[in-house]
Amino acid sequence: MVSINKPRKGRVNADIMQQCLSLCDTMLGDLEKAKRPILRAIKCSLDNSLYDHRVGFLTPGDKKVSTELNVSSVKKMSRAVFMLEILLRNIETGSVNTKRELYYMSKGEIKHSPILKPLDFADQDESDSVVDFICEMIEAYREEMNCFANDRGGQTYSQQLIVTETLTDGGKAVIDLSQLGTSPFQPKNRPQNLMLSTKKKIDFALVIESEGTANTLVSNGFTKRHNSIIIGAGGVPSNAVRGWVKRIQDQLKIPIFFYGDLDAYTLQNIYRTLKAGSASSLIRNSDFSAPDVKFLGVLPEDIKKYDLNDYAVNEKDVAEGRSLKKAKDALQNDPFFKDKRNRGLAEILEWLYKTKRRCEQQAYYAVAPRDPQMAEKIIVEKIKRGNFV
Amino acid sequence: MTKKSAQTEENAASKPRAGKKITSSSTAEYFSKNLQQVGFSSPTKAVLTTVKEAVDNSLDACEDNGILPEINLTIVKLGAGTMKNTDKLKITVDDNGPGIHEEDISKVFGEYLASSKFGRGRCSRGQQGIGISAATTWALQTTATPVRVITKTKDQRKAVSCSVEVDLKNNKGITRDRQTIDWDRPHGTSVEFILEGRVQLNGEAGLLSYLRGNVLVNPHLTLNYTLPEIGSATYERVTKDVPHVPEAIEPHPHTMKLGEFLSHARIFGRVRLQNWLKTGFSRMGDKVITDMWKAQKLSPQLLNKTLESVTDENLKAIYTAVQATQLMAPSTQSVVSIGEDAMSLSVERLGEIDFFAVATRKPTICDFKPMQVEVAIARVTGGKIDGDEPVQVLRFANRVPLQFDKSACAIVKAITTVNWRSYGLRQPKDAVPTGPYILAVSVVSPFIKFKNASKETIDASDELVEEIRRALMQAGQRLSRHLSRENKAADLEEKILHLEKFGPVLVDTLVRITKSSDKRKLAAYEGLKKILGRDTTEAQSKLETAETALDVANTARKKRLKSFRDEDSAYEDTQSKNRESSDENEGDDESGDRDDEHQDDSESVQSSKKSKSKSAPLASSKDKKGVDLPKGKKGAKASTKDLGILSVFAPEKAATKGKFRAPLKSKKTAKAVKPSKPAKAVKPSKPAKSVKPAAKKPAIHKK
Repeated sequence: MVSINKPRKGRVNADIMQQCLSLCDTMLGDLEKAKRPILRAIKCSLDNSLYDHRVGFLTPGDKKVSTELNVSSVKKMSRAVFMLEILLRNIETGSVNTKRELYYMSKGEIKHSPILKPLDFADQDESDSVVDFICEMIEAYREEMNCFANDRGGQTYSQQLIVTETLTDGGKAVIDLSQLGTSPFQPKNRPQNLMLSTKKKIDFALVIESEGTANTLVSNGFTKRHNSIIIGAGGVPSNAVRGWVKRIQDQLKIPIFFYGDLDAYTLQNIYRTLKAGSASSLIRNSDFSAPDVKFLGVLPEDIKKYDLNDYAVNEKDVAEGRSLKKAKDALQNDPFFKDKRNRGLAEILEWLYKTKRRCEQQAYYAVAPRDPQMAEKIIVEKIKRGNFV
Repeated sequence: MTKKSAQTEENAASKPRAGKKITSSSTAEYFSKNLQQVGFSSPTKAVLTTVKEAVDNSLDACEDNGILPEINLTIVKLGAGTMKNTDKLKITVDDNGPGIHEEDISKVFGEYLASSKFGRGRCSRGQQGIGISAATTWALQTTATPVRVITKTKDQRKAVSCSVEVDLKNNKGITRDRQTIDWDRPHGTSVEFILEGRVQLNGEAGLLSYLRGNVLVNPHLTLNYTLPEIGSATYERVTKDVPHVPEAIEPHPHTMKLGEFLSHARIFGRVRLQNWLKTGFSRMGDKVITDMWKAQKLSPQLLNKTLESVTDENLKAIYTAVQATQLMAPSTQSVVSIGEDAMSLSVERLGEIDFFAVATRKPTICDFKPMQVEVAIARVTGGKIDGDEPVQVLRFANRVPLQFDKSACAIVKAITTVNWRSYGLRQPKDAVPTGPYILAVSVVSPFIKFKNASKETIDASDELVEEIRRALMQAGQRLSRHLSRENKAADLEEKILHLEKFGPVLVDTLVRITKSSDKRKLAAYEGLKKILGRDTTEAQSKLETAETALDVANTARKKRLKSFRDEDSAYEDTQSKNRESSDENEGDDESGDRDDEHQDDSESVQSSKKSKSKSAPLASSKDKKGVDLPKGKKGAKASTKDLGILSVFAPEKAATKGKFRAPLKSKKTAKAVKPSKPAKAVKPSKPAKSVKPAAKKPAIHKK
């Protein structure tokens, strides 16, 4: 079994194939002996998440989800084996699919083979959870099972960065980001195939919550004036963004900062996921989190310092109310925020919960509305002064 | 126009014109012109209201005299009516009630607001004495035929037969064509209306719905009916316990207005004030009066004065003092409830029912009036009620079905405010729930506040709606418990099916993935069979445990209902013994009457015994037109003795057989826990033949 508590090299398809076949063989053997087959998977939840600042990301505890064949589990187990067969066929033939395509492929299989009718999925959520269960069971990324998500987020701008991509046929593609004009570079969901180099020393990378704000900064000449990399996360970072930032951290070893809204949702769901991964993706956090990312802002002190427009959280709004409730839970139960090293972040979260105030990243533009570079100036000043957490 | 002429015109306009006389009209004239106000707004409603008024009067009279009511209703079409879409109908309602004294006949059927029940503070069906006189008026208006009445009291040797008309001018009943006749029953009344109207059988406002509702809330009633297009049928009584009618209560002073208070005082005349306060009102004891006198600083001498000598000013001061005094709420002992046990037995007569829950609230005070609410929820299996249709709501006020204007009724308002979804029923927003259920709600009170004179809707006060709501929720919780048991059993059943569906697919897929041989495949199948067999046995054992628990509950329930019936039988034995002893003491002529009665009864029992032996197979519960009918006498008589009625029935479980199913350990697992055929008690009869022969045609002797 591969360790999931430290970064690992991508597993080759043959390994995964072998592991799956062995699992199926064991299950069949159990059935032959009239013994109930058992499937075990890592429990991917917050109560099974551990955090150690030396590791830097959330790792799984000892808890496992065991599924033994009985009246309640036979449906889930049959569906898992059915979907595994489709995934293995994909690996065998080198086909690549999204989860939605897998859902429709399963529908097609059932259509052509009426005996499989009881396995039919009512909606995509059902088939998605089966794919996730398989990945948790064999501790593989779904990309390693040739199942990719749509590329989302991660638009990257730089005048110094050069990316060399290893293609599936073994060839190489070299991308000089300074030659892309106004277009950004979009990382793929498997950034492990990318090698990074620079034309000139890069001082820092800035991950911005909103892709629109990232685009504005670049349009106003941020990357021309500073040797930097600007990445638009596009909300909650996708696997591509997480893997891409991790790649930048590991290969370029430059300071990386996160700049986003000052609210509970951003801190817990966006920044924490980028920095330490999430509880639902415990098996992939090692390759999909960048523990060195710092929280540049907006910080609570910035509101006073720059006289930023802040406003009260609308507790009647279901989403905002839920975020506040989650903030309270996180302070009590999330090992990331409970860790001493992250005390500064926990204090911000506590401040947000207590004051029930929030401030958006675009508030920097309100400081001097007629100066298009004001946001840039504040960001650079904060980096220079070490005004981040 | 000159100034003078303009003034003259103005004066003329402001003064009443000379020569226009102001006349007064009698109550009867008023009602004859406004029959729509008392339930005669259409030919359909006219028929229903006529039947309703006659039946209500019979039931009230029987209850007042401790008689088990047996009512025969016959509606015959005599031809086409003169009004559009009407028939000329003969409606006959006869009962075994105490009969009417001759001098009262004209008052009962021909005089408005002549009632023995008005303002008595008792839970009687009729109150004002309007309805049956209105029916007579309708008959006179549509066919010019007076109502024919035959009545005989216990003390009379012969019955009196006469026709009654309404003297509208003077609000008096006029009897004509009086005769004495021989009548083959000891006492009773038969009333025959010939009128124009239309018989509507089905639907919420239909005659059958009325009859079904009536038998539900009157478990002690035997109802024989013959209706056009349906024929004859019988609802047998399910209890021989005549509801105890409590004594009337005096009015509570807090429910009175000043004018009422003064009028009340004048009725008593020379009675001392203190005695009047004590005896003329409820909750006014000596201590209350003394304390009130002190607190309100009233003159102590007043208490000893007679009411004649007390001035209106003094009475006004006393009224104000009474209103300012905290008094106990009125007694709740005056309400007549049906009771959970009787309701449980009665609900069975509604049709094929596989589950019911009843809830009787304790008597309480609503809007300062004693009140009791009872609820029954029954799930219909054999009826026509569609799963998506709203549930059938049966409303009752003082045990009288309410069939019109339901949207404004307190009962419907209460039903819509309950969240039935949490009890497992479907319910559109702010509406009555849907599904194959009957939801019966009965409100009893000596002072029900109706919205109109035709007593079709109960006024929806917040307190009353809340009280009904609580009763509904109580019944809903019982329903919910049963439904969750059903769901649990269905879940287990489904899980067993799961194994059979998914097991082979699992083996096949594993064999394909591992590219294993057929030998391995067969071995895996065998292994799977063993595993599934173990699981199936386990699941079935759980089902058995659940069934056993249900059986225990059902047995306890049966026992309770059996003891209830035994009490009934004991009561009946005592009654018959008393009757026998009283017969012996009476004269020859009287005993002759009694002999007839006994003969009739024994005939009835004999015929029912014969019927019992012939009863299987029972007739279907539907006629050709799909109308729900009650059981005929054959089934009904047999079943009253051996009803196996349970308050909660388990669902029927489909026996499933599969190739992976382990052999059943118990035969019980495949069968449903069913009531001991209670529904058979109320199956419809064969038309006409099964109806108890009506009273022999009376021989008429002219006076």
